[in-house]
Amino acid sequence: MDAAVALTPEAADQAAGQAPLLEVRDFSLRRGKAVVLDGVSLALQPGETLGLIGESGAGKSTLAMALIGLLRAPEVQLEGSLRFRGTELTSLKEAEFRRLRGNKIGLIFQDATAALNPCFTVGEQIAEPLKRHLGLSKWDRRERAAALMQSVGIPEPRLRLDAYPHELSGGMQQRVMIAIALACNPELLLADEPTSALDVTIQAQIMELILDRVRELNSSAIFVLHDLALGAQVCDRIAVMYAGQIVEEGPSERVLAAPLHPYTRGLKSCVVELGSRTLVPIPGQVPPLDAMPAGCRFAPRCPKAQAVCGERRPLPETRDGRQVACWFID
Amino acid sequence: MFQAVSAKLAQTLLVLLIVSAASFTFLKLAPGDPVSIMLGSDYSKASYDQLTHELGLDQPVLFQYGKWLADFVRGDWGTSYITNQDIFELAVLQALPVTLTLAAFSLLIALLIGIPTGVLAALYRNSWVDVLATTLAIGGNAFPSFYLGIILIWVFGVDLGWFPALGFVAPWEDFWEGLWYLTLPAVTLGAWYVGLIARITRSSLLEVLGQPYIAAARARGEPGWRVVWVHGMRNVLMPLVTVIGLQLGGMLRGAVMTEVVFALPGLGMMVTTAVLNREYIVVQAGIMLTGLLFVAVNLAVDQTYQFLDPRLRRR
Amino acid sequence: MQDALKITLLSGASQWKRRFLQPLLRQHSALVGLAIIAVYVIAAVFAPWLATHDPAAQDLMASLQGPSAAHWLGTDSYGQDLYSRLLYGAQLALIIGFASVALGLVAGVAIGLAAGLMGGRTEWVLMRIVDGLLAFPELILAMAFMAVLGLGTENVVYALALSFVGPFARMTRGDVLQVKNQPYIEAARLMGVPTAAVIWRHVLPNVVSPILVQAGMRVSIAILLESGLSFLGIGVVPPTPDWGLMIAEGRAFITMAPWISGVPGVALAILLVALNLLGDGLRDAYDPNTRKDA
Repeated sequence: MDAAVALTPEAADQAAGQAPLLEVRDFSLRRGKAVVLDGVSLALQPGETLGLIGESGAGKSTLAMALIGLLRAPEVQLEGSLRFRGTELTSLKEAEFRRLRGNKIGLIFQDATAALNPCFTVGEQIAEPLKRHLGLSKWDRRERAAALMQSVGIPEPRLRLDAYPHELSGGMQQRVMIAIALACNPELLLADEPTSALDVTIQAQIMELILDRVRELNSSAIFVLHDLALGAQVCDRIAVMYAGQIVEEGPSERVLAAPLHPYTRGLKSCVVELGSRTLVPIPGQVPPLDAMPAGCRFAPRCPKAQAVCGERRPLPETRDGRQVACWFID
Repeated sequence: MFQAVSAKLAQTLLVLLIVSAASFTFLKLAPGDPVSIMLGSDYSKASYDQLTHELGLDQPVLFQYGKWLADFVRGDWGTSYITNQDIFELAVLQALPVTLTLAAFSLLIALLIGIPTGVLAALYRNSWVDVLATTLAIGGNAFPSFYLGIILIWVFGVDLGWFPALGFVAPWEDFWEGLWYLTLPAVTLGAWYVGLIARITRSSLLEVLGQPYIAAARARGEPGWRVVWVHGMRNVLMPLVTVIGLQLGGMLRGAVMTEVVFALPGLGMMVTTAVLNREYIVVQAGIMLTGLLFVAVNLAVDQTYQFLDPRLRRR
Repeated sequence: MQDALKITLLSGASQWKRRFLQPLLRQHSALVGLAIIAVYVIAAVFAPWLATHDPAAQDLMASLQGPSAAHWLGTDSYGQDLYSRLLYGAQLALIIGFASVALGLVAGVAIGLAAGLMGGRTEWVLMRIVDGLLAFPELILAMAFMAVLGLGTENVVYALALSFVGPFARMTRGDVLQVKNQPYIEAARLMGVPTAAVIWRHVLPNVVSPILVQAGMRVSIAILLESGLSFLGIGVVPPTPDWGLMIAEGRAFITMAPWISGVPGVALAILLVALNLLGDGLRDAYDPNTRKDA
C-alpha cells in the first residue's frame, strides 16, 4: 500500500503492470467558449483515495460530474480520455454509462437536503439502485435498504425506511446519501464536499464513516474538498486544482509538508493553525472562465511570476515523486 | 392538530355564512316585488297581505335571513314560477351534474394534452415545440370560448358531421353516447386550460430539473424517462394543482359560455335563462351553488397539497 | 460620489424613463401587444370618420352579403355593415373594458386602503364584504349584478366594476399592511407627518405598481366578460354595435354567412391576445414578486 502511494501513475503502471482503476489523460471540458477543465491528467489505483483540492470554481466538482457522466456532450464538449477499468467513458453510450452510475461509480452530493427528492421516502430512494442494477425483488430491496441504513449508522433503520427526507436531520440525510451511493458496492466513490453542508460537530463523524465504508468495501474514492489539511489527513494522495488545471499532484504527506507549486503554498498558508503567527491570503481572485490568461493561469496572482509565466503554459513535470506544473520549481 | 382542523373548519363556516348572506342580499336587491310576481296581475290587498305574511316578508330582515337559511339547508329552495319545478331538484340534481361532468371531462382533456406539451417544451427548450406550446398557451388562453365553440360546431358538428352540434346525453345513462355529445364542449372549455397547464408544467419542470435531487437520481443510474416523469413530474404536481385551483373562476366562466353555446342544461345555462326570465330565486340558487362549489374546491385543493407534498403532511 | 450626485440630480423626466419606460421596452412581446392595441385604439377613436355606414342602419335588401366594395366586410342578417359595426364595436369594447377596470380599481383601492390603514372593526367588516365578493367567480358575480341592475351598456360597466372590487381591495390591503410596517413609515409618523400625507407620499407609491399591473391584466378579462355577457343576452342591448352581440347574431348563420360571427370573433380574439401579451409584459417588467413564466 505504501509503495503504491509513493509511485507516480506512470511508474505504477510499469512497476506492477497493474492497470489503474481510473485514468484521466489530458482531459478537457469546454462549455461553449469557456474552458472549464484544461488538460487534466491523473490516475487512481484500486483501493486508493485521492483528494481534489482547490478554491470554488477550480473545476473539482465539474471533474466529478464528468466522471459519473452527468456532464456529457452535447451539453459540454469533452476532449482527451477518461478510462475506468479500461473502458473509455467519453465515448460510452448513455445506456451503458447508466449501468455504471450508482452501480460501479457512486456519488455523494454536497447538500443531502437538496439531493434527496422531497416527495419519496428514503427507503424508496435507497432501493432504486438496488432495483435498477441488482434487480432485487421488492422484499429483498427493503431488507438490503435497511441493512445499508444500519451500516451507515442510522438507528432503527426499519422505522426510518418510510420516513421522508424532511423528517430526518441533516446528518441523517447525509448518511442516507452515503447509503445510496454505496448501495451496489461501487468500485469508485466520488464525494463532492460531503461534509461542508453539515454542522461542524458531525463533519468528522461523517468523514470517518465514509472512509470506514470505503475501506471495508475496498473501493477507491475521490474526495472533492477545499481544505488542504483535511484532504491530506483523509486521502492517500492529493491533486491541487486551480482554474481547471491540476497544478500539483502527489502523496498527501509530501504535498502538505513541502508544497512545490506557489499556489499550493498559498493554500497551505491560508490554513489557520493553532499557534501559527501569520495568515497570508492569496491576493486577487480566480480569473473568469472566458478570460483565462494565455500562459500559466495562476500567473496574475503568483508572487514568483515572471515574463515566461504570462506567455506559455507550464506542463506538469515529475519532481520529488509528484507532478508539478510550474516554470520555477526550486 | 385538532386546533388546526377546527380553525380551518371555523374559517370555512365563516366563508359559507358570507356566501349565504351575499346570496340572500342578492335576492333582497333584486328588482320587482316577489309577492306581486307570484300573485300575477290580479290580486286584492287582502290576498297580497296574506301572502306577504305567509312568506314571512313582514318580519325583520335578519329573521327572514335565518328562515331562508334554514330552508336552504333543508333543501327547500322554492319552486320556479315558470316551470313549476322544484329549484333544489333543478339546480342540484339536474344542472350541477352536467356542469361537473363538463368541467371534469374538459380538465381531463386539458391535462392529457397540456402536460405532455409542457414537458416537451421544457425538455426541448427554445425549439419549435417550445414556440408552438407558448403560442398555444397564449392563443388558447385568450381566445373567447364562445367563439371557439361556434367554430367547432360549424366545422366538426355541421360541416364534417363527426360530432353532434348541440345537446346533452347524460354519460351516466349512456356512457359512450354521452361522451360523444360532450366531446366538442369539453374541447372548447379545455382549450382555455391546455395553454395554462402547458405553461405551468413547462416552467415548473424547468425549475425542478435544475434541482440537485434530479442530478442525484441520474447519478443512481435512473433512466432519463423516469427522471423526468417520476422524479421530476412528482414535484411539478404541486404548482400544477395550485394553478388549476386558482383558475377555477376562469373554468366556471368558460363553462357558462360553453353550456349556452352547446345548449347543455348545466348551471350556466340555468342561471343565464333565469336572468333572462327575471327569475331571481333561481338565479340566487345558482349563485349560492357556485359559491359553495368554490369553497368546496378550495378545500379540496388544500387537502390535495397535503397528499402531494409530504412536507405538508401532519404526522 | 459622482454617481450619487447624478442620482439626486436626475430630473423627473429621466427618472420616469428609468423606472417605467426602460423595463417595458425590454419586453418585446409586450411591445407587439401594445402596437396591436394601438391599432384598435386608433380604430375606436376615429370610428366616426373611418366607418362607411351608420353602424345601426338596417338595410334588409342587402342582408347576409359577403365582403364587397359596398360592404368591405359584408353585412349581417339585418343588412348592417359589419366593417362599421366592427369599428364602433372596438370603441365600445375598449370603453367598457377600461372604464369598468378603472371604476373597480378606484373602489377596490379605496376599500383596501381604508381596511389596511384603519384596522380593527372597520377592517374586519370591509374584508368580510370583500370575502363575499371573492367567494364567487367573476362571471357569476357580473351576471348577478346585471340581474339586479338591468341590461344596458352603463350597467355592464357597473356590474363588471363591482365584480373587480374584491381582487383590488384584497391586493391593496395586503400591500398596505406590508408597507405599514416598514421603518420609514414609522419614521414619517414620528416626525409628525399627517396621516393623509403619509398615505399619499409613502404608502400609495409603493402599492401603485403591482396594482397597475393587476389592472392591466384585468382589462382583457373585462373585455372578455363584457362580450360574453352580451353574447348571453344579458349585457349590452341591440342594436348597439357590440362584438358579443354580433357573434351571438352570427351564430345562427354560421354555415351560410360565417363572416358575421367571424369578423367580430377574430377581432376580439386578436385584441385579447394583444392585451394578454401586454399584461404579461407589464407583470414581468414591474412586478418582480411574480414568477416569470408562471
